[in-house]
Order: sequence, then C-alpha cells, then structure tokens
Amino acid sequence: MASEEKYLRMTLNERIQHFLLLSTFMTLVFTGFALKYPEAFWVKWTMFFIGKNAFELRGVVHRVAAVLMTGASVYHLFYIIFTRRGRKLVADLWFYKKDLTDLFQSIGYITGKKDERPKLGRFSYIEKAEYWAVVWGTFVMGATGSLLWFQNYFLPIINVYGMDIATAVHWYEAILASLAILVWHFYFIFMNPDVAPMNKAWFTGYLTRHQMENEHPLELEEIEARQHKEKL
Amino acid sequence: MLKSKIAALILLFVFVLVTGVVVFKFNLIRARGSDECFACHEDKTLAMDVNGKKKSIFVDPVLFKNSTHSAFDCKDCHEGYNPDEFPHNPKKVKINCRGCHEKAKSLENGVHKNNDCADCHNPHNQKPAKEMKANQTATCLKCHTNRNVTDYNTSIHAKKNVGCDGCHKSGHDAKKITKGEVVQVCGNCHGSHQKDFNNSIHQTVMKGGNKNTPTCIDCHGSHKIVGNKMSIESIACLKCHLDEKLFPGDQKGSAKFVAKYKTSIHSSIQIDGKQAAGCVDCHGNHMIESTNDPTKSTVRARMMETCGKCHTKEIDHYYKSSHGQAYKNGDNNAPTCFQCHGEHGINSVLRSDDFSKINQTEMCLSCHQDNRVNKNKETHLNDYKKSFHYIALQNGNTKAATCSNCHGPHEMKPASDPESQIYKKNVDGTCGQIGCHEQEKKDYSGSIHHTTLMSKENSDSPTCNSCHGAHQVVNTDSLGKDQGSKQKGIVKLCSNCHASVELVRNNNLPNVASNYNESFHGLAVRGGSNKAASCGSCHGNHNIRPSTDSLSTINKKNLGQTCGKCHPGADNVFLNTKMHILKAETDNPMLFWITRFYILMIIGVIGGMVLHNILDYRRKLKEKKAGQ
Repeated sequence: MASEEKYLRMTLNERIQHFLLLSTFMTLVFTGFALKYPEAFWVKWTMFFIGKNAFELRGVVHRVAAVLMTGASVYHLFYIIFTRRGRKLVADLWFYKKDLTDLFQSIGYITGKKDERPKLGRFSYIEKAEYWAVVWGTFVMGATGSLLWFQNYFLPIINVYGMDIATAVHWYEAILASLAILVWHFYFIFMNPDVAPMNKAWFTGYLTRHQMENEHPLELEEIEARQHKEKL
Repeated sequence: MLKSKIAALILLFVFVLVTGVVVFKFNLIRARGSDECFACHEDKTLAMDVNGKKKSIFVDPVLFKNSTHSAFDCKDCHEGYNPDEFPHNPKKVKINCRGCHEKAKSLENGVHKNNDCADCHNPHNQKPAKEMKANQTATCLKCHTNRNVTDYNTSIHAKKNVGCDGCHKSGHDAKKITKGEVVQVCGNCHGSHQKDFNNSIHQTVMKGGNKNTPTCIDCHGSHKIVGNKMSIESIACLKCHLDEKLFPGDQKGSAKFVAKYKTSIHSSIQIDGKQAAGCVDCHGNHMIESTNDPTKSTVRARMMETCGKCHTKEIDHYYKSSHGQAYKNGDNNAPTCFQCHGEHGINSVLRSDDFSKINQTEMCLSCHQDNRVNKNKETHLNDYKKSFHYIALQNGNTKAATCSNCHGPHEMKPASDPESQIYKKNVDGTCGQIGCHEQEKKDYSGSIHHTTLMSKENSDSPTCNSCHGAHQVVNTDSLGKDQGSKQKGIVKLCSNCHASVELVRNNNLPNVASNYNESFHGLAVRGGSNKAASCGSCHGNHNIRPSTDSLSTINKKNLGQTCGKCHPGADNVFLNTKMHILKAETDNPMLFWITRFYILMIIGVIGGMVLHNILDYRRKLKEKKAGQ
C-alpha cells in the first residue's frame, strides 16, 4: 500500500517546540481559567487534591508556564531566523493570493457548490491563520500578562485605568485563543475525517500518503516531482 | 454656915450629876459600851482564828456611826457576848437579824434562803434601802462571779443602767427566770419585740412543744446581752441551724441548706465597712418567718421587697426587665432574685468561683434553651458556647462577656425596647462598654454604618452584632473558618447586605459585589487566597466611611496609602479610576470599546470557525461514503 509511505511533517526539533507550546498552553489555559472560575467543579477537585496552598500554586504554575512558553517563542524566533528549515517554514507560512482562492474554493466545496477541494500546499490557509494567530496571541498574552504580573511596577505608569484594560485583554484573548485551539486546531487534528481519530504527526513527525493526498496534495506533487528529478 | 454651904454645893453637884446622868444616861452607857468594843476593834489588823483561817474582826467606827445601825450598841446584835472572854462568843450564837427585820421573811422561799443577811448587807455599814437598791448590781456581782454573769458588765443593759433587779427583781424577791418566763420578762421592756416574737416561727414551734426552740436569751445571751447582728448570727442562728442533728437532711430548711450561707457573698464581703446581709436581714429579727407563709419576707411574692431593702438599684432594674415584667404578669416561671442568685448561697459575679461568668451561662441556659421561654427564638442561644466570648472565658479570660454583660445583669430588656442594652442603636455602646471593645466602638462611630443607623434611622444599617453575630460572636480570626479563608468570610459577610437585591435597591447602595467578585481580588479570594484583598482590606472593618469623607481609607487622598499596604508601587500614585467599575462606558471608555471589540471578534471568528468546521465535516463524511 502506498499509505505506508511516510512524509516528514515535523522534525524532532519542531516536535519539541510544538510539545513545549502545547504543554505550556494547556497549563496556562487550565491555571488561567481556574482563576476565573474558582467555583467550577474541576477547579474545586484540583484544589482539594492539592490542598492548602492550591491557589498560590496555581499562580506560580501559571507564571512558570508563561516563562517557558515565552522561552519557546524566543527559541522559535531564533529558529526561523538562523536555520534554513526555519526560514523555509516562515516562507511557506506566509500568505499568498492563492490562500484567498483556496478559501473560496474550500467554501464552495464544503457548501456543496463545487465538487473539487482546493489543492492545498504544505500549509493550508487554515494552518497559516492558526500560526499567525498563535504569534499574535503569544505576544498579546505575554505583554498583558507581564503588566499584570509586575503590577506594582506598572501601576504607577499605566494606573488602574490601564490595569483594568490589561486584565480585560488578557481575559478575552485567552477565550479567543482557547476557543480557536478547541474549535479550529482540535477539529483538524482529531475530528477531521481525513485524519480521525488523530493526526499523529505531532509525535511521529510523519504523515501518511493518504493524509498527504487529502490534505497537502500540492506538496505531495512537489515532493514526487523532486524525487523524480533526483531519480533521473 | 460653912457646913450648910458645903451641903448645898454637894446637893447642887449631886443634882447636876443626877440630871446629867438622867439626860445622857443611854448615851453614856452606849458610848461607854461601844467605845469599849472599839477600843480594840478599831484596830485594822485585828483578826481571829476561825477554823484555822484568819478572819478580820475590824469594824470601822466612822462607817458604823454613819450607818443606819449607828443607834445600836454592839451588844444589841452580838447577844450573849462576854467582853472578858476570848473569843467573846464561845457558844457561837448566830446573829439574828430577823428579830428586828421581820419583813425579810420573804427570803425563806427565795433563791437566797440559804444565804446570811451579811452576804449582801454589811451590818456595820448598813445603808438605807434606797442606797442599797442603787448599788444592788454591784452587791450581786460580789458573789455571782461566774463568767456568764460578769459579762453583764459589757452588756447594753449595763450601759443603760438596767441592773440585775431589772430582770431578776430586787432585794429579797430575787429569783431565777425560767425558759418559759424569759419572753415575758424581756417583754416588760421590749414590748414590741415580744409581740413580733410571739408571731414568729420560733414561738410557733415552741408552743408545739419543741424544747430546742430559742427564746430571747438564746440569741442575745442571758447576761451579755448583744445587739450586734453578726454576733447574733454566728453564736445564735447558726449555732442551731448548722446542727445537722437538729435540722437533718438536705431539703429546704436543713442544716446543709443553711450552711450554704457560709459560702455566700453575704457572709464574706464587706462593702464600705458595712457588713453584708446576715440571717435577720432577710428573715427578720424577732419575727423570724416560715417560708411557707405567703405573707413572709422570704416567699417569692415578697422576695424583691426583701432584697430591695439593700439592693434598691438592682430591684428597680429587675422590675423593668423582661423577667420582672413576666413576673408582674403572673408568670410562675419568671425568675426572681433567688432563682439566679441562690437562696442561702447567695452569689455574685464579684466572686469568680461559684458564680463565675462561665457558670452564669449554664444558669441562663437552664431556662433559655430549646425555645422553652421564647418560642422559636432560642435555638441560637446554644451558639453562645461556640462564641469567641465563651472560648475566651474557658481559657481563663475573665473579662470576656457572658450573658449579663450584654443583656445587663438585672436590666434584661428585649431588643425591641429602646432602653434595652441590646436595642439596635444601643448595641455599640454595649459592646464598646468600658473594659470591652472601646477602640472598636470608637472606630465604628462615625462610620457610614453608624451614621446611617443613628441619624437616618435606617435600621437596615448594621451594628456590631449584624456582622459579628449576636450569641455566636466571632472575631476576625474565626470569621470564614468554614469557608477556607478570613477573606472569604468577610466578603460573604458584606455580601449579605451589599449583594442583596432587596437591600441594595431599598437603600440605594452601589452594586459593587459582582464587580468585586469578578476582579482579581475577588477571584483570588474566591479561589482560596488568604492574601488577596477582601472588602475590609480597603474599606476598613469598623471605620467604614464613604470615599467623600476625608477620613475614609478610600478617599482619593488616602487611596494610595491604602492600596500601598499590599502594592508598594501604589504608595505615591494618584489612582485615577473608580475601583468598582459599574459603568465602563463612562468610567473607562477604552476598556469599554476594547471589550466590545473582543466580544464581537470572538463571536465572529469562533462562529465562523464553527460554521466552517460543521460544513467541512459534513462534506468530508459524504465524500468518504461516496469513496467507499
């Protein structure tokens, strides 16, 4: 079967980066919403499990995760600047006119008006939007989070007025990011009939040929064309 | 002539002689006889042996000449004496006074019938009856030298010149006074007391044939007549009433029952040098009363009158109290003095042992629990035992409040009475009484809660017990214990009013609770932080004032300092925004618009994603089916 062929999606380095992002994000979501919904059953259970200083621990864990995520982001910045693969990554994630046509094609396809899927490359418009959303989100959350963390330093500068805004932004951005991951990212990794029950690339690093055909046909074509060239 | 002259002279001499003899005959004879006796007996050292003992036989001639017997010659009484023989009276003939003094026969049946006249009278210095009477007591005491009788000298009778004869009758009629006669004898002078005594239980019992019953002398002493209250009690009342043989058992009236008096405050304290109440102060002195008689001083109906003789203020308070009112209205369960203070073992909070504050709790609760007195109002009284007050008492802090400290020991008026210590407007005064929470009261007065309650007559506004509880009084350490943190407790407490829809609406309160709960402070407190600010952290606890008040912790001027307690960066910052943002549009427009933007974005973006994915899923499934 052709499906046994494997196509590299994420290198070990990238998988580690993804894992760092994934784990810190989950931790931040959990510890962040635990603050906002202190009476929720899952918060109470966790608090009960941890015991007396659970609330203080929550804050510490949230900050540690934030620092780790920021660290991972900084590393990623170096990665995309100083490695060839990194630079290629950004180039492949950049928006082009094709992404717009892909979107319309896709809308046409899923609404049943068109029979063909858009022919997607290494990163679909979906994935691109996600990536840049993460970039934006990390920045916003990092910035507002820092204001709130170092409140005693920033309070004289931005005053209560600014603190209230930072709090609100941090909150709404958190909702937006969490929902985006839940609705957008998780759908394509877990529910998407092409990859269900799960796209394992995030820890195997590879996609199957079937997945390539469905999700990244253009990239597949390019790879095969390159392989063909090499063979020649 | 000469012869006749000599004869005439002799005749004259004889005449003068005879006339002189005739005129002075008796005197001459007596004088000669007595003088003859006095020649020897005026010697003070003169004595004779009588049965081996030296007996003075000296007679003072001066006293004798002044005595009523001065007209008599020695021989008139000393019959058959021979001056030439020594002793003059070898036959030992007794002097018989009755030869002359026939009246003295009454002695034959009297107590002194075996006595010589000379035991009382000195025949060589016999005085007139009046003089004898005046000195009778001294005369009696010459023989009656036992302690019991000589105590007379210190008695009130001695001071008031009531002599032996006052009771025992005079002179030759002197007699013993039997128990049955005592009351009558004393009553000759002390008529009104006799009357009282005759109505007393002592008299009643005596008439019933009880020989142990006391009469006047059993209490006052027979000769050492005492009037002092405490002496009477210690030697008299208690002498019998502490005797378990006379008053057995442990019922009312038993010796054990009475013995409790010895531990009472009445028996032990002295106020202003005055002795506290003794038996007679309550039971009456002569008219000692049975407690069974409805007219007596120690029955329930007259208890207040009896105690009120001394405790006027307390009784006055009692009558105005709920207890007193219930009593007046005929409630048989309403307590009077002794229900709380005991009967003989009268106790006071001034003594910290038997009637200590901690025991007072038990006593009040012995009636006031399980809704026994006030229906549906007493379930919370047992809560007092969980209170900080009670715990402090148990730990030995005798300053801690018990029932009487708040309700008044005798005042005890219901909370609805404007004069009551626990009337809402008076509560701060009660809790803040001297020695208790003075500082807290000071802080509270001037707070918005206080001014609203006092000047605006708004009874929705809280006083001490609104927050700290009435009986289960809590301090801030125990506040919120059941909820995990002190902060949570305080927030919950303030929320009782400030998050109550009804109270917020009725009193036009700023609806800050929900805003606080969503703030970081609120979220942290809800999440179990014990550091994050609660209401009190910023507004103060007792000294809560509106931000417009320059003394307020949240006045713009003081806000930096208040926030600075936790946020060192805020110390010198003029904080520019309302803390509880109720209307973001005007309070913080930027916040308002950013919030709007985000909400729209979330709805738009996530909504679009959901829609996209639903369609995507449907289409891909369809394709998959077609592919198969």
